[in-house]
Amino acid sequence: MGSEPRRSAMGTAAAACVALTVLAVGSVTAHAASQWWSPVALSGTAVTGVSAIGDTITVRTGGGTTLASTDSGRTFAPVPGNPALPPTGTVTSGDDLWRIDSSGRILHATRLADRNLAPFPDSRAPRLGRGADLIAAPAALPGVVIAVGTDGTVWRRGQDGDWKQALLLLPQSLVQGVPRVTSVTAFTQPLSAAIYLGTAGYAVLISTDGGDDWIRAGPGLPDSVYALSADSARHAVYAGTSDGLWVHVLQELPAPPAYQDAALVWRWIGIGAVTIVAAALTLFGMLRLVPRRVSDPTS
Amino acid sequence: MQRVATEPASARLRRLRAAPWWPAAATLVVAELGLGAALLVPVAFSDPNGVDPYLARLSVASVLIALPSLFVRRLAPARPILLALAAVATTYTLLSAGPQILFDLLGSRSGSFDAQVFWASLAQAMGTLLIALAAWRTVAPEWRPSLRLRGLRFGGLAAGVIGTALLIGLALAIPADVLGRVALQPVAVGRDFPWLGPANALQAFAQEVQFRGLLLGALERTMSPRWANVSQAAVFGLAHLAISYGGPEAPFVPITFLVGLAFGWLVRRTNSLWPAVIIHAAADIALQFGVVQGLYGF
Repeated sequence: MGSEPRRSAMGTAAAACVALTVLAVGSVTAHAASQWWSPVALSGTAVTGVSAIGDTITVRTGGGTTLASTDSGRTFAPVPGNPALPPTGTVTSGDDLWRIDSSGRILHATRLADRNLAPFPDSRAPRLGRGADLIAAPAALPGVVIAVGTDGTVWRRGQDGDWKQALLLLPQSLVQGVPRVTSVTAFTQPLSAAIYLGTAGYAVLISTDGGDDWIRAGPGLPDSVYALSADSARHAVYAGTSDGLWVHVLQELPAPPAYQDAALVWRWIGIGAVTIVAAALTLFGMLRLVPRRVSDPTS
Repeated sequence: MQRVATEPASARLRRLRAAPWWPAAATLVVAELGLGAALLVPVAFSDPNGVDPYLARLSVASVLIALPSLFVRRLAPARPILLALAAVATTYTLLSAGPQILFDLLGSRSGSFDAQVFWASLAQAMGTLLIALAAWRTVAPEWRPSLRLRGLRFGGLAAGVIGTALLIGLALAIPADVLGRVALQPVAVGRDFPWLGPANALQAFAQEVQFRGLLLGALERTMSPRWANVSQAAVFGLAHLAISYGGPEAPFVPITFLVGLAFGWLVRRTNSLWPAVIIHAAADIALQFGVVQGLYGF
C-alpha cells in the first residue's frame, strides 16, 4: 500500500473518531425509571400477612406477631391482643361482591340486583378446593375475577362470565418443584386494571388484561412473597416477603424513551456514519487479506 | 545456547494466505469485526432501548459488505459467507420490522399482531430462501454451499425427536428464573398458538438454512469439518448476542454457541438440515409459550 492511500485512510479514520467523540459528548444521557418495588420496613423479618388502608398498615410476621403502623410504615408497634389479620376469601369491587365458601365454591352478589348482597353460587365457576381463599377483582375491569385453587391453578373469569385456567406455574428446577401461589390482589377502585399475584418463588406476576397474559413484575423484590395488599387510597401495593415489607406505587409499565429533539437527529447521523465507516473498513480489510489468486479448494 | 531458526512473520503470513481455508476464515473474521463495530460503536452515544435501530444498521452494513462480492472477482470466494451473513441480518430485520410494516401498509386489515408476526416470519423464511438461491446461482461450484435440504430419513427424524426431548429436559433442569420459564398461560397459548406456533417453526427453518445450510455449507468447502462447525457456531452465538446485547440475558448468550455446535454436528452427522430444524422449532415454540416476559420485555 502506498503512502498516499495510507494517509487518506488514516485521515478518514481520524475524522470518524472525532465525529464519534463529538456525538458521544453532545448526546443526552438516558434517565433510569423510578424503582418498581421499594423496601418499606421490617428488613430481615418474614412478613406473612399484610393489610393496608391509607396510613394504617397492619402486618403479620413469620413469628406470629401482628404489628401496625399509622405513619405509612415508618414505624411499627405490636397490636394489643395480637389479633390475626382479617380472613381473606371475600372481595368487594364496585357493585360486586365475590366470596369463596368453605367448600371452595365461588359465590357472587351484585348490589344492583340484590340490596342485601346475598351471594349465590356462580354456576360456571370451577371448584377451587376446600380451604381456597385467594380471590381478587379489579374494579377497572368489571366482571373480571381471579381466583386460585388449592392445587395452585390460577383461574380467571372474563367479562363474558366464562371461567378459564389463566396460569399454571412451572417447577423452579428439577429438585425444587412448583412454587406456591400465596396471594392475589387488585385495586378495588378503578385506578388500574392490574392484577397482582404473589408467589413463594417467583416473586410477583401481574396481568393487565384480566388474566389472559402475565409478566414477571418483581425486580428488586425477594423471590418469596407471602402476602399482597392493594391500597386504593395511596395508589400502592404492599408486599409481605421473606425479607420485610415492600411497596409498589402505581406507575406506568416501563417503556422505551421517546426522543424528539435535536439529539435524535444527531443519533441517527452518528449511527449512519458508523455503519458506512464500518462497512468500508471491512471491505478494505477483506481486499487486503484475501489473496489475489485463490487456490482451488477441491484440488 | 543454540538458536532456533524461526520463520519470518511475513513468510508465515504468505504461507497462511496460500492455504485453501484462508479466504473463508479471513472473510468471516473481518466481516464479524466490521459488523461488531457497526453494532457496538453507536452504543457509546445512542440508547439501545430507545431509538437505536441496531438491526437496521447491521442489515445495511451486511448488504454494503456483501454487494461488492457479487461484482469484485477477487472477493468471489468470500461471496457465500457474506451472503450468509447478509441473510442472517436482513431477514431478521424483516422479521422484527415486519409487523409494523404490515400495519403501516394495511392498517387494521393486517390482522392481529400474531398474524402480523406469522407473515413476517414467512417473509423471513422466503427472504432466506431467495438469498440461498442467489448463492446457489452466483457462487462457483467449488465454493457453493451444500444446503442439505433434501431428504429426512428415519434416523434423522428420530434424532430430531430425541434432541427435542433432551433440550426440553435441559430447560426444565435449569433454574426457572434464569430462563424466565416460570409459567404457562393457557388462555394466551390457546389464542396465540395457531399463528405463533407456525411462525416460530418458520423462524427456526430460516435460521437453520442461514447458519447450518449457507454458512456451514460454505465454510466446510475449504475448512476441516471441525473448524467449519466451530466457526458457524461462533457466528450463531454472536448473532444472538447482537439481538440481546442490551438485556440482562446477554451473559447467557454463549449457551447458543454450544447449541450451534450441537446443531452443526447433528446436521453433518445426518447429512440433513431437518433434524436441526425440528429441534430448533420445538425450542423456539417452548421459549415462546413457556417464558413469561419481564417488566422490560425480557
